[in-house]
Amino acid sequence: MNRFQRLKDILIALILTAFGVTLILVPEEGYNDIILVLSLLIAVYGIRLLWYYITMSRHMVGGKSSLYHAVIVLDLALFTGSIATMNNFIILFYLLGIFAFGGVINVLRSLEAKRYGASWRFKFFSGVISVVFAIAMLVLGVVLGNNNILVYGFSISLFYSAAVRIYNAFRKTAIVYIQ
Amino acid sequence: MNPDFHYYATYCAAILAGYSHEESQDIAHSDQFVDLCSATFLTIIKAPLSAATTQLQLELMDARTDIVGLQDITRIWSSFHFLPRDLSAEPKKPSSKKYRNKYRLICGPNGELVKSTVELAKGKGMQAVGVAMHVLADTWAHQYFAGTPSLVINNTNHYFYECFPDGSEKKIRFRHSVSAPDDLENSIYTASLYVSSENSIMNLGHGRAGHLPDYGFIRYKYLPAWDDYEEVVKDNPSDYKHAFCQMITAMKYLRGVNDSFECGQYDFDAISDIEEDIEAILGKRQVDASDDWKALGEKLSGQTITPFDIERYKEEYKNASSEDKDSTFLGRFILAALAQKSMVTNKIYTSGNKLAGYSVDYKKQGFRGIDDFRRLLAPEKEAKK
Repeated sequence: MNRFQRLKDILIALILTAFGVTLILVPEEGYNDIILVLSLLIAVYGIRLLWYYITMSRHMVGGKSSLYHAVIVLDLALFTGSIATMNNFIILFYLLGIFAFGGVINVLRSLEAKRYGASWRFKFFSGVISVVFAIAMLVLGVVLGNNNILVYGFSISLFYSAAVRIYNAFRKTAIVYIQ
Repeated sequence: MNPDFHYYATYCAAILAGYSHEESQDIAHSDQFVDLCSATFLTIIKAPLSAATTQLQLELMDARTDIVGLQDITRIWSSFHFLPRDLSAEPKKPSSKKYRNKYRLICGPNGELVKSTVELAKGKGMQAVGVAMHVLADTWAHQYFAGTPSLVINNTNHYFYECFPDGSEKKIRFRHSVSAPDDLENSIYTASLYVSSENSIMNLGHGRAGHLPDYGFIRYKYLPAWDDYEEVVKDNPSDYKHAFCQMITAMKYLRGVNDSFECGQYDFDAISDIEEDIEAILGKRQVDASDDWKALGEKLSGQTITPFDIERYKEEYKNASSEDKDSTFLGRFILAALAQKSMVTNKIYTSGNKLAGYSVDYKKQGFRGIDDFRRLLAPEKEAKK
């Protein structure tokens, strides 16, 4: 990574951390914030896809499909933004599904890794934690009506992303060449 | 290419180049080991992870596709399995730098990097020869694909036909079940899934064309994603024969028989007595030609070829003291792998392409970067002493 990429990673990590802290301090408005950020992220993704079509995939056999993909994603961004004022349970179920699905996949893949003799424990426990977290969200959010757990979970994922970016920013990546 | 070529055919080529039976076995073992030296294996033997020459399916599934992750993947696959043919190649139509950088990593034979690869192996032992032969052979098998995840380069579509020697053609069907074996009779092959993300590992190398480039018998035609709707016809029997003869030329140079190694030279004379045998093996419709290549190798050397065993040198490396590790079989292989990776990364970087990461010229800037490469300095230190 060059200096600019490292600085960019550090800056994004700081923004993610700041957003995570804000969510924890003011959890009441968390749902709306999350959905708006989600909508913004999808919109950015859509624009990047459009840029990808212009600079890359228009040269490719069948490359027009990425143009259609970009249009659909931008449409999804608008749709996601429009549900910001809707019932919190819709968002809750969406995130709950993501956590549970991701957790089960991690557990299955860790078991496969174990069969090959590769490291598996971290993936296994992170999968189990995701499933437990999804169940906790279901119990606290849907049954007991406590929605803050979702906001805290989202904040934790932001802190994790920030930590990964900081780690990458300070990682040694160059390869020496000896003639 | 599969173990049949990387192990047994390489053994045959080494014998024809004049190496002894034992040397040829070491070269063949190192050649095949390039397909197995993963981070998982290196972790088990407690060796430097930067020496990985391949990534297991499971490792790829876990690989990050951020900038650093992509550079790591590109270094491994471009250095050992998809050596770029021309780092200054220009696409047919004006295109962005980002596109050009991917385009320039398309693999192919007889590029400058093949020459550099063979020259790098000179005087560095049988392990380095094996690594170089693997890289050289793959430039023929894997041509038209790039050793970096890229939809715009490596994707294929429904236009894919198998061409038979009698002139007939059959549409190839791809399925995505990893466990299902290729069905040669019905031209049904396993390939990676279509994923629309540019940097998905599904779009790495020839995954979208399945194992077709790895089969010596097959001829096929298709539309590569990068060639502006131009059809490519891939003739593996011919390509594999060229690879075999080029390997003999290269190994004769490495043995000191030839003064230099130039691209585009094939030692067809060396195979004149066994040309029919080789053509018969390459023409036989089979997934694994190991038995045939083994029989040919044993006929050439009059010796029994020991089957490849990944465990063979593991204990020697594990039991060696830290000072002696670099002198073991695997230690020398690791040095050869690090040197190859360092050289290819440098060539890609100095061409203005950052897809394989950053390279630091030791002579100009001293040692910087990943510590694993420090062991390449040993000869330098020895020379100073």
